Amino acid sequence: MRTIKFLLALSFTTLIVWQLARPQLLGDKTIPPLGTFLNPFSGFWANAEPVEGFDEQSLSIPGLKNKVEVVYDDLLVPHIFAENQEDAARVQGYVTAQHRLWQMDMTARKASGRLSEVIGEKTLRLDRLARRKGMVLAAENDLIGWNKSPKTMALLQAYTDGVNAWVSQLSPADWPIEFKLLNYEPEPWTPLKVALVSEAMAETLCTWEDDLESTNTLALLGYETFNYLYPEWNPKQQPIIPDTGQWLDLHPLLPPPFFTDTTPSLGFIEPDAPAEKFLNDCQIVGSNNWALSGAKTKSGKPILCNDPHLNLTLPSIWFQVQIHTPEANTYGVSLPGVPGVLIGFNENIAWGLTNGSHDVSDWYKIHWANAERSKYQIDGEEKAVQFRYEEIGVKGKPAFLDTLRFTVFGPVTYDFELENPLRDCALRWIAHDVPELSTFDVFLGLNTGKDYESYKNALPGFDSPAQNFVFASSAGDIAIQSQGKYPVRGQQQGRFLQEGDRWANAWHNYIAKEQIPSMKNPSRGFVFSANQHTTPPSYPYYYLGNFEDWRSRRIHDRLEAMTNATTDSMKTMQLDNFSQRAADALPTMLRLLDRSQLDANGKQMADELAAWNFRYESNLIAPTIFEAWFDSCYTATWDEISALEKRGKSTIPTDDLLASKNQKIALLYPDAWRFIEIMQTDSASVFFDHPATPFRETARDIVLESFKLTQSYFKQNPEKRVAFGEYKGFVIKHLGQIDAFSRLGIKLGGHRTAPNAISKGGGPSWRMIVELGDVVHALGVYPGGQSGNPGSRFYDNMVDTWASGNYYDLLFLKNANEPSARILGKQVFNP
Amino acid sequence: MKNTLLAALIIFVLGNLCRFGLPWWSLAPIALLVGWFFARSAWAAFFGGFLGGFLLWYATAWFADSSNGGLLSAKVGQLFMGVEALQLLLVTGGLGGLIGALGALTGRWAKEMLVAPSKKRNYLQEKRR
Repeated sequence: MRTIKFLLALSFTTLIVWQLARPQLLGDKTIPPLGTFLNPFSGFWANAEPVEGFDEQSLSIPGLKNKVEVVYDDLLVPHIFAENQEDAARVQGYVTAQHRLWQMDMTARKASGRLSEVIGEKTLRLDRLARRKGMVLAAENDLIGWNKSPKTMALLQAYTDGVNAWVSQLSPADWPIEFKLLNYEPEPWTPLKVALVSEAMAETLCTWEDDLESTNTLALLGYETFNYLYPEWNPKQQPIIPDTGQWLDLHPLLPPPFFTDTTPSLGFIEPDAPAEKFLNDCQIVGSNNWALSGAKTKSGKPILCNDPHLNLTLPSIWFQVQIHTPEANTYGVSLPGVPGVLIGFNENIAWGLTNGSHDVSDWYKIHWANAERSKYQIDGEEKAVQFRYEEIGVKGKPAFLDTLRFTVFGPVTYDFELENPLRDCALRWIAHDVPELSTFDVFLGLNTGKDYESYKNALPGFDSPAQNFVFASSAGDIAIQSQGKYPVRGQQQGRFLQEGDRWANAWHNYIAKEQIPSMKNPSRGFVFSANQHTTPPSYPYYYLGNFEDWRSRRIHDRLEAMTNATTDSMKTMQLDNFSQRAADALPTMLRLLDRSQLDANGKQMADELAAWNFRYESNLIAPTIFEAWFDSCYTATWDEISALEKRGKSTIPTDDLLASKNQKIALLYPDAWRFIEIMQTDSASVFFDHPATPFRETARDIVLESFKLTQSYFKQNPEKRVAFGEYKGFVIKHLGQIDAFSRLGIKLGGHRTAPNAISKGGGPSWRMIVELGDVVHALGVYPGGQSGNPGSRFYDNMVDTWASGNYYDLLFLKNANEPSARILGKQVFNP
Repeated sequence: MKNTLLAALIIFVLGNLCRFGLPWWSLAPIALLVGWFFARSAWAAFFGGFLGGFLLWYATAWFADSSNGGLLSAKVGQLFMGVEALQLLLVTGGLGGLIGALGALTGRWAKEMLVAPSKKRNYLQEKRR
C-alpha cells in the first residue's frame, strides 16, 4: 500500500513537472512551457527590470587590451571610452548584445532562412525564399570581400567576441523574454551573422521590383499606351545632382550590344500562381537627408539632417552609441549586430544616408535543357546548373531539404515547388557580388573622418545597396554622393523580364567609380536627397528605380528659401506634413469638379477641401476626405487596368481558372504624378472613359463621380469622417508580431508624400540634426528605446517624444569623467 | 499546524537557492527532502509544501513585479488572454504551490515506505521532546 502511494505521488509529481517544462497546445496556439516561463527565478519575471536605479558594474571580458569605461546616460545610450578601436568594438558588441540580443538573433535568422528552426512550419516558405534569394550566398560573399581588409576584419572579430562574451555568461534567467516565449536558447554570434544583418538591410532597401508587372502591362497595352502611362522621368522632379555641365566630357562605358533594341522578347507571363511581392513592400521605405552650408545658417557653420524612413519596429532598428577612441569621438546610430556607427557625426564631420532607390535586381527567364532542370541553354550551348542543397530545420518536424539552382545570372528563386509567376527566372542581384573593397572600411573611414578628403576617400568601397551619402564638416564643406555599384544598362534594360538564354543580356560593366554622381559645395548652399532621381536625364548612363516624386520637391523648395537656419528650423522641416502631391492634385481636382452638380452637403465638403493647406495634420479632417477622394478618383480612372488584372487577356485559356481562384495578374499602375499630369493636360484621355457606359466620360465626370462616391461613403460611414490621425491609425509592431509588446493606436499626422513621411507602420526611424562648429550640437530621437526588453523602462520611452515631434539633445561627452546631470551610471570593463 | 508551517518555511528558505542558478524544477526535489525530513504527516507535507511553494513563487514574482512597476506583467497578462497582473501572480504562486505540495508529499510517502513504522519519531522531534 505504502509503495503504491509513494509510486503514485512520485509519478504524478514527475508528470506535472515534466508537463510544466514542455510547451503546450492551446487551441491552435503553442504556449511556452508554463513552469519555465512563469517561475519567478528564470521565467519572465526575471525580465521585469527595476524601474529605478542602475547597476554599476565592474567586470572583465576576455581579449581586452586596456580598461574600457562605458557611461550610460538617462536614455540608456552607452558612451564607450576605449584606448583603442579593437577594445571599443569588443565592448560595443558586448553592450549591444546586452540590450538587443534577441533582435540580433531574429534578424540573422530571418536573413539566413532559419526562422522555422524556432518557430515551426509556419515560416518554412519564408525560410525557403530567403535562401532561394541567395541571402546566405550574399553574406558569404560579403565576408570574402571584407577579409581583404585585415584591420576591419580584426574589428569585426572583436565585436563578435564581445557579443559572445555576453552570450556565454548568460543563465536562462538572463535570456531576453522572447527566447523564453519561443522556448529556444541564444547562440553565439559570428562574423557571418554580421554580414547577414547587413544583407537584411540591403534586402529592405533594394527591394523595388516590378519587372513582372511591367512585362505583363507592356504585353497587354502595347508600346504606345505603355509609354504614355509610364514615363520614367517626371519633369517636375528635382534630382539630387543637377546638371551643371559636369557630364559633358564624361565618356560613358557602352551598354551590352543586345540592348540596342528595347523590345523585350518575352510576352505575357502566364500567371500560374498569385503574384506575391518578391521582396518587401517598400512603400514606406524612403528617407530624407540634407546639409546646409554656413551661408544659409545662423551660426555660419553647416547643419546636417537625416531621417531614414523604415518599417518601424520594437525593438527599434537603431541602437544609439557613442564611441570614443584616440582616433575619433563618434556618436550616432548603429545596427544591432554590426560594429561601428552607420549614421552619425564626430567632432569634425557629420554624415547621413538615404536609399539610392536604384533597381539593382533583374530577372532572367531560364530555358531548361532537360526535365531534371540540371542544365540550361545559353548562347546555343547547354550549361550545368550549380546545385546548392539546403537543410532547413523545422521545429517539431524533420528537417526540410531544399535544392537551390544557381545559374550564371544567379539563383532560380521560384519553381513548381515554390510557385510564383516568376517561376524559372534567375535573379541577378547586386547584393550577391563579392564587394571589391571592405564595406566596413567605408564606415570606419566615416566614423574617424576628419574632413572632406576622408569622406571622399572612404566612399568608393560602398557597393550595395546604393546610398546617397550626405556630408558636412566643421571646416565648412558640404557634399553629397550617390554611392553604389551600378550596372551599365542598355536603354530600359532591367525594366522588363529578360531572356536568360543569351549572355549578352547580362550585366557586363559597372559605372566607373569616378563617374558616380556627386556634388561638393554648390553655390545654392545646400545638398539634399529624398530618394528621387539621382540625376536629370542628361546624365549619360541609363538607370531605373523606384524614385520618389514629392518629398524632394518640397524639401528643395524649402531649402532654397531658407536663410539663417537653426536647429529649430530644421525640426520644422523634418516634421513638415505638407504634401506636394496634395498641392498638385487638389487644385486640379477642384477645378475639374462641377459644383453645380453638388448638393448642399457636397458644396460644404468641397469648401472644406478648398480651405485645406495641404498639410496632413493629425487633427484635421480635410486630409481624410482628400485621401478618400483621391484614391477613389484614381481607382475610377484606372478601372481598365484593374479589369485586366482580374481577367487577363481574353485569349488566355487560364482565364476561367484565374477567375475561379480569384487570382490577379501582376500589372503596373501609373505613378500618381503621371495621373495628376494626365488630369491636368489630357482631361479627355480615353482612360477617363468607362468602357461599359454608352457615354464618353472625361476627367470632369470621373472627378465628380468619385467626389459623390466619397460623399456617400462618409455619409454611410460617419465614424470614418474623423481627423486624419485617427483615420489612418499608426502602429509600431514588435519584431515578433506580439501585440502586447507593440505600440498600437498612436495618432499621428504625416504622409509618405510629405517630408514627415509617416505611413501605417513606417516612417522616420531616426531623426537627426547636427549643427557643426567648435562645439557640435546634435539632436536626435527614434521611435523606440535603447533596451530590447519589453520589461524595461527604456523599451519604448522615446516613442511619445518622437510622436509629439520632440527631440533629445544628444549627450556628446568628451571624456568618461565629464560631469553631467544626465548620467545614469557606469560599466567598467577590465582586461 | 506548527509542523506544516515549519515545512513551508524550510521550503521557502531552501527554494531561494533557485536564485543562484538551480533550475526552477529544483523546487520539487527540495520539497521532497523537506517532506522526508520535516513533515510529520502526509497532510503536513502536502499543505506545508503547497504553502511554501506558493509563498516562494508568489513573493519572488511579486517583488520583481513591484520593483518593475507592473510594466512587464501588464504586457504578459495581455499576451495570456488579457489576465490581470494579480491573476498572473496567483497562477505563478499556484504552480509553485502545486510543485511544492506534490514534492513534499512524495518525500513523506517515500519515507513512510522505506523507513516504515511511522510511529518512529524523527531526529528533530526527538530533540524537541
